[in-house]
Amino acid sequence: MSLKNVLENWSDYRKGHEQGGHHDYEHMWVMAVDLDKCTGCNACSVACYAENNLAVVGKERMMKGQGMHWLRVERYWDEPQIGGDDGQFQSAGGSFLPMMCQHCNAATCEPVCPVAATYHTPDGLNAQVYNRCIGSRYCSNNCPYRLRYFNFFSYYEESWPEPLNQQLNPDLSVRDKGVMEKCTFCVQRIRTAKDTARREGRAVQDGDAVTACAQTCPTQAIVFGDMLDKESRVSKIWAKQQVELGKTKQVKANPELRGYRILEGLNTDPCIMYLDRVREV
Amino acid sequence: MSGNDINRRDFLKFMGLGGAGAVTLSGCDMPTTVTLEEGKEEVVSYLAPEEYVIPGIGVWYASTCQQCPSGCGVHGRVREGRVLKLEGNPDSPVNAGVLCQMGQASLQGHYNPDRITKPMVRKGGNLTEVSWEEAIELVNSKVGAANGKVAMLTGAMSGHQAELMDTYLAKIGGKDHFVYETINNAVAEAVNAEMFGSAQPRYNLDKAGAVLSFGADFLATWVSPMHFSQQYAKFRTGNRGVLIAVEPNMSLTGANADMWVPAKPGTEGVIALGVANVLISKKMVDGSVLPVDALATISQYGVDKVTAETGVGGDVLVRIATYLKERSPSLVLAGASAQSNTGGSQVVAAVNALNILLGNVGKTIGAEDAFPVKSLAPRRGSSAALAAFAKGADAGDYEVAFIYNTNPLYSAPAGLELNGKLAKVGLKVALSMFPDETTLAADVVLPLASPYEDWGTQVPGYLPSEGGLNVQQPLMRPLYSTVKGLGDVLLVLAKAAGAEELNQYADFYAYLQAGFAAMPASIKGGMSDAEFWSKSRQKGFVAVANSQGSLNVKVGDLAQVADKAGSDFPMHLAPAARAGMYDGRNANLPWLQEQPDPITKVFWDSWAELHPSTAAKLGVKEGDFIRVESAQGSLEVQVYVYKGVHPDVVAVPMGRGHDEYGRFASREKGVNPLKLIGGDVDAKSGELALYSTKVRVSKTGRSAEMPRLGGSESQVGRRLVSTVSADVYRRTEGGGNNVA
Repeated sequence: MSLKNVLENWSDYRKGHEQGGHHDYEHMWVMAVDLDKCTGCNACSVACYAENNLAVVGKERMMKGQGMHWLRVERYWDEPQIGGDDGQFQSAGGSFLPMMCQHCNAATCEPVCPVAATYHTPDGLNAQVYNRCIGSRYCSNNCPYRLRYFNFFSYYEESWPEPLNQQLNPDLSVRDKGVMEKCTFCVQRIRTAKDTARREGRAVQDGDAVTACAQTCPTQAIVFGDMLDKESRVSKIWAKQQVELGKTKQVKANPELRGYRILEGLNTDPCIMYLDRVREV
Repeated sequence: MSGNDINRRDFLKFMGLGGAGAVTLSGCDMPTTVTLEEGKEEVVSYLAPEEYVIPGIGVWYASTCQQCPSGCGVHGRVREGRVLKLEGNPDSPVNAGVLCQMGQASLQGHYNPDRITKPMVRKGGNLTEVSWEEAIELVNSKVGAANGKVAMLTGAMSGHQAELMDTYLAKIGGKDHFVYETINNAVAEAVNAEMFGSAQPRYNLDKAGAVLSFGADFLATWVSPMHFSQQYAKFRTGNRGVLIAVEPNMSLTGANADMWVPAKPGTEGVIALGVANVLISKKMVDGSVLPVDALATISQYGVDKVTAETGVGGDVLVRIATYLKERSPSLVLAGASAQSNTGGSQVVAAVNALNILLGNVGKTIGAEDAFPVKSLAPRRGSSAALAAFAKGADAGDYEVAFIYNTNPLYSAPAGLELNGKLAKVGLKVALSMFPDETTLAADVVLPLASPYEDWGTQVPGYLPSEGGLNVQQPLMRPLYSTVKGLGDVLLVLAKAAGAEELNQYADFYAYLQAGFAAMPASIKGGMSDAEFWSKSRQKGFVAVANSQGSLNVKVGDLAQVADKAGSDFPMHLAPAARAGMYDGRNANLPWLQEQPDPITKVFWDSWAELHPSTAAKLGVKEGDFIRVESAQGSLEVQVYVYKGVHPDVVAVPMGRGHDEYGRFASREKGVNPLKLIGGDVDAKSGELALYSTKVRVSKTGRSAEMPRLGGSESQVGRRLVSTVSADVYRRTEGGGNNVA
């Protein structure tokens, strides 16, 4: 890419995903997270620890930002879209935001990996191949959402003293130091669903594959499914909210609809749509 | 194979066809008359798996979560004989498939490295491992000589274990079964029984248009959080209800409120009567539903008086009243911070009166369903039970005390002085899984199987419609051969005490099976005993028909009790309960220790919440250590400063600060605010006034980085968590438009 080319095509820069690329997707797994229903209760995060063999790193390492929470619930006190909160007290509650890998279709982490350890699968997942990863951490540096977690140490040595190790999920590995990891949309559950469907000689149906977080959510704020299945619950929610994949800017017939993608302006084309929190004002 | 179309795959297919395979191999000196099917019953693999077990494939079994008393149904994924993951039971009337963080983490209790695996008896001052026979013999001999001076001190219980415990207690002549829970709804239960004729009425948040919560953290710790979370999701869809929270410091429910109002603990009743006053004086409701005395009391709580006593302005009262009226039917709830006060009963009475005034009774509040088999009914916990036990122990009433599923030496208020009183009990028998404070102070320790290794039944303390008896069944073999289930221990003890009617049961499983066979036909629904037993275990619960009655409304005196003023200790202590650590029982679960608290985002440690104005007065900022002193003692803890706490309140959540309880609870200790609590009680119910303790807060000069999930408290204008007004929502997605 010559400088001349970059300058001449500046407005198209990082908009390649609008052309759809050359992928022939089997599935396109996406989520819809209704922030008005999300209570910030942490159930999703603990379910993720249980499902995905996430290491417990302890207080000191958590303080150094080494927590391995693939799904973390962020909390903000201000609400800039409705004028914030300048009074003496909180006039309303806080704002909770469950953040997991956004499985961007134009992922900024993918092209920077020197060994192609992170790549896009035909399921539309942003995958991490652990035994290919050399730990350059370029991907983590390039993720605008800060949702990649690096094994700086062999956390497993202290995380599961016997017999806690007996709880480990045999469907996926325990990661050792030097490896990057992150939310996989519970790829082992997707694989089980696909295998089961194939064994039964049918297509994967909506609800066959559910991530651990979506399954346990006490208010069912998280909906997971296949965007290519037009009848799936999640694709109907996206359609109803007039949010489309592969767009750098959403043009909504009704601009008041709540669906949005976080930091969409960076043209990462994330696969998680959030629905605005609602407040009585 | 030129000219022949058999490829490798086809060849293998033929091979697999049994007899055909034998024919194919006929040239290989194999007998051609014997097929692979013949004689197969004589071939038994050394690796014969149990029924249904396919290596690599998870099988889900139903059981019941024991992490709090609300009784959520779970499905446990079992693979190669180990339980790996829990999910909510989708058919459960309590939680319908969802599960909270504590339920998810309960597996770490089951697999906890600090579990007690052998019975222990105190010999020469130290707990020494002994055989089960020796331990049981010691217990039996002491119980035999105790002449009925035996007490049971347990957490909330129900079902067949509770029934068996009653049988045992009756057999040995004991009368006292104390059911103690730190996090309880006991004051409200007493007042509800008086005013509605129903201790734990059924709430329908999903039918309410507005919910006013006085510290009722129904999304996290109050009564049945998973059940209410689902009602909450419905409450927020369609025409979207309004949630208002009035509390001393922000709870998870408050953090989701549309309107958050700070209140000093104990003044909630005054605010409730102030709202009632506005409703009546502005003619928004018809006051005649309340008796004349009650109306006279309400008329005294005019806006000026309420503002003077609580600091809540008239505009706020009017706004609350307007929401409640315009979005009728509404629902008003009173939680721990409102009811655990010296005047707690009066606060709940005022809250209930507000519900009556708003016409909510019969709409969003209904009568409870009682489980038809009385001997299995829930024994809900209270803190008065612990006080009664302590009093009896102090008076020397108990030669033997059994302690199960509760840790009073950690959770008892300092004012109760339990350590000295418990020491007066001759023999303390702990039925326990973990080396917690109380277990390590016992004379006999009987190691119990985990809830996922044991049989049992539970009737939830809050029975939702179509709810019933939950079945708890083992999800795997016990990790240790030397632990026993609670029911089995009780059965052995009861048999030794001469309960001959129990001799027919070889173990608790047999007792349970017989108990199911003995259920009334109305519950069995025409099934045979075997079918009913099998169906119940498969489903994980036994549903009962809904027999919703109606509530009888009776309103008594509504006058509020004024707070005791104290100049030495000017601030209120809020020992808030949080999901996660709960009452301290979850401090040994590393997943929950590592979870940042939803509000403050602190992990692995305790914190104190202060309002910015209070912090400025003290000259402290986030991360500074403050000393919190009450008449009972003091503690030092780091400060988190934010605007979600009343300026006269310092909130130090309970659950951490264990002296014992295994490596995870004691690694990063934290502090235990319950050790600052005095002995004040709610005068009417005798319940501990958890929120009435006054404290003095001072600066220590020490400071350290706060163990908190980092990042900004502000979105700095970015669209991360975006917010829209409810008007916009109702316009675009309200009514039938909702898809999510």
